[in-house]
Amino acid sequence: MIEIRLHGRGGQGAVTASRIIATAAYEEGKYSQAIPMYGTERRGAPLTAFVRIDDVRVRERELVHNPEISIVLDPLIAKQQAVVDSLKPGGLVLLNTAYPPEEVKIGGDFKVATVDATTIALETLGRPITNTAILGAFAKITGLLKVESLEKAIKKFFPGRLGDMNIAAVKRSYDEVKGPIQAVVKDAPPEKVDIHVGGYGVLKDVSSWRVYTPEIDVEKCIGCKNCWIFCPETAIQWDEEKNKPWIRYDACKGCGVCANECPVNAIEMVRVEV
Amino acid sequence: MSERITRAQIPISELTITPGSACQGCGAALAARLSFKALGPNVIRHGIPCCPDSVTQTPRVGTVFEGGGAQLTGTARALKAIGREDVLAVGFYGDGGTYDIGFQGLSAAAERNENIIVITKDNEAYMNTGNQRSGATPKYARTSTNPIGPRSRGKPRPKKNIPFIFAAHYVPYVGTASVGFPEDLIAKVTYMKTIKGFRMLIVQSPCPVGWRFDPAKTIEIARSSVQSGIWPLYEILDGKTFKLNYKPKELKPVTEYLSPQARFRHMTEDEIADIQETATANWENLLKADEMGRLTL
Ligand SMILES: Cc1ncc(C[n+]2csc(CCOP(=O)(O)OP(=O)(O)O)c2C)c(N)n1
Ligand code: SF4
Ligand code: SF4
Ligand code: SF4
Ligand SMILES: [Mg+2]
Repeated sequence: MIEIRLHGRGGQGAVTASRIIATAAYEEGKYSQAIPMYGTERRGAPLTAFVRIDDVRVRERELVHNPEISIVLDPLIAKQQAVVDSLKPGGLVLLNTAYPPEEVKIGGDFKVATVDATTIALETLGRPITNTAILGAFAKITGLLKVESLEKAIKKFFPGRLGDMNIAAVKRSYDEVKGPIQAVVKDAPPEKVDIHVGGYGVLKDVSSWRVYTPEIDVEKCIGCKNCWIFCPETAIQWDEEKNKPWIRYDACKGCGVCANECPVNAIEMVRVEV
Repeated sequence: MSERITRAQIPISELTITPGSACQGCGAALAARLSFKALGPNVIRHGIPCCPDSVTQTPRVGTVFEGGGAQLTGTARALKAIGREDVLAVGFYGDGGTYDIGFQGLSAAAERNENIIVITKDNEAYMNTGNQRSGATPKYARTSTNPIGPRSRGKPRPKKNIPFIFAAHYVPYVGTASVGFPEDLIAKVTYMKTIKGFRMLIVQSPCPVGWRFDPAKTIEIARSSVQSGIWPLYEILDGKTFKLNYKPKELKPVTEYLSPQARFRHMTEDEIADIQETATANWENLLKADEMGRLTL
């Protein structure tokens, strides 16, 4: 039996990715299972999902505790040592990051592969939904699934044009994945994960939610206060002396409302690498 | 009636503590921010289960859905008993908590004319639990309980007219507002503070996740809803005095509101025509009421 764990955030489609893998395995005549781990599924909140694949009927009905494979859909979470927590020795981790596997800082006895799924998703789907943009890489490095079965499964979840776009994302990630190589770092210190992105109430810093970051050109700004009044996060502050806005980046989730509401296009949403 | 204010008159001070845990571009988070900005700090915030919108620097108490009206009543009467009627008892609830599950308690409080303020962030479904339809969900909208298929065209029934239902309790104040019109929203909350008795404001608050649109478009969609007559801005005093607060010369077509939202993407031309006719007819009625300055409920 192969056990897989997926890490992502609400909105990236980790749960759908787990179901696509399970469906594709089923298409190949295997027995499979997808389990979502529900918490607060707000967009941006971290979540996990699990998959089991076997040649015989899967009887287990519990969460996966010691996966062979860990798939990480989010570039920030991909920096956390916790994604390889309780991974079986000699296991495999597939990370969404622009860095090659040689430069990955998390470490231990496992193999690492990387693919820039965010860029692939943005270029094929126009949105940073990285679930299908990591599946091609998964198929290539594990050899567990044929791309054709992934395509079949994707068409079930996304009919029509959306399906074609997602299949294009799968193919690109199949071609662009780097690795796997043995993890360069041998003994990474275990860490307490505290990324302050989920749960109810006041969060510490939500910078990591952003794919795009707003930047204000104060020269262009005419002081209309649109961005300030419409920011749902109160991230835009008003400087009464200068009659200009400034951004509290720790509170900005990168929704793009400010840029959309600026009458003179003084705010640009810029992709900043994490 | 509320008095028009300008952008410059909106207070700079905020009552929210951020970052909160709502999704990117959450209309309800903005509805909370703007409402509490206008309410000021002298408030006891009451909550019932719903999405996390914005955390405020106010004392906060909470209860079950069904208990909202009763809990607000208790607070308002206790404040009166200790001679602190300067403190406002405010319920900040979801549409599920106002239109449906919490309705009977709120209706009873309205009928008794309790000295309370209820502000509803109307995102048109039970969003916290995954976009199930509510009494506030509009006709044809796709929700997780109204899928699209050969035998289901989204929600089969129209949105409940909750402002009129509460106005028909002959309470001092019922108003509608939108996060796309912050001056109007703040003017209405400011006016509610100057009167006593049961006051209610329903704020349409687009939800990028449930309505399925790009989070950058939250305000654009809120605005086109008002400009197309889908969500008109008005106030009703004592169940009879009526005023439309935003009257464009010509309404925009409803498609400007519907098309950016994937929850309406399946709609046929006939279905769109149905929504257009309803919006136009409703608008004409409201214009007449506005001309007379009164409603007969
Ligand atoms: C009596 C009862 N039924 C169901 C629930 C589960 N529940 C918690 S939040 C919620 C959704 C509330 O919807 P709404 O009031 O519209 O607020 P929103 O989540 O959309 O902000 C539900 C159904 C509950 N807490 N109590
Ligand atoms: S991107 Fe969104 S959260 Fe960030 S400053 Fe602009 S409006 Fe506020
Ligand atoms: S919306 Fe644009 S012009 Fe208006 S205050 Fe903000 S940056 Fe300046
Ligand atoms: S689901 Fe909708 S209403 Fe709830 S927090 Fe997210 S955007 Fe806001
Ligand atoms: Mg709701």
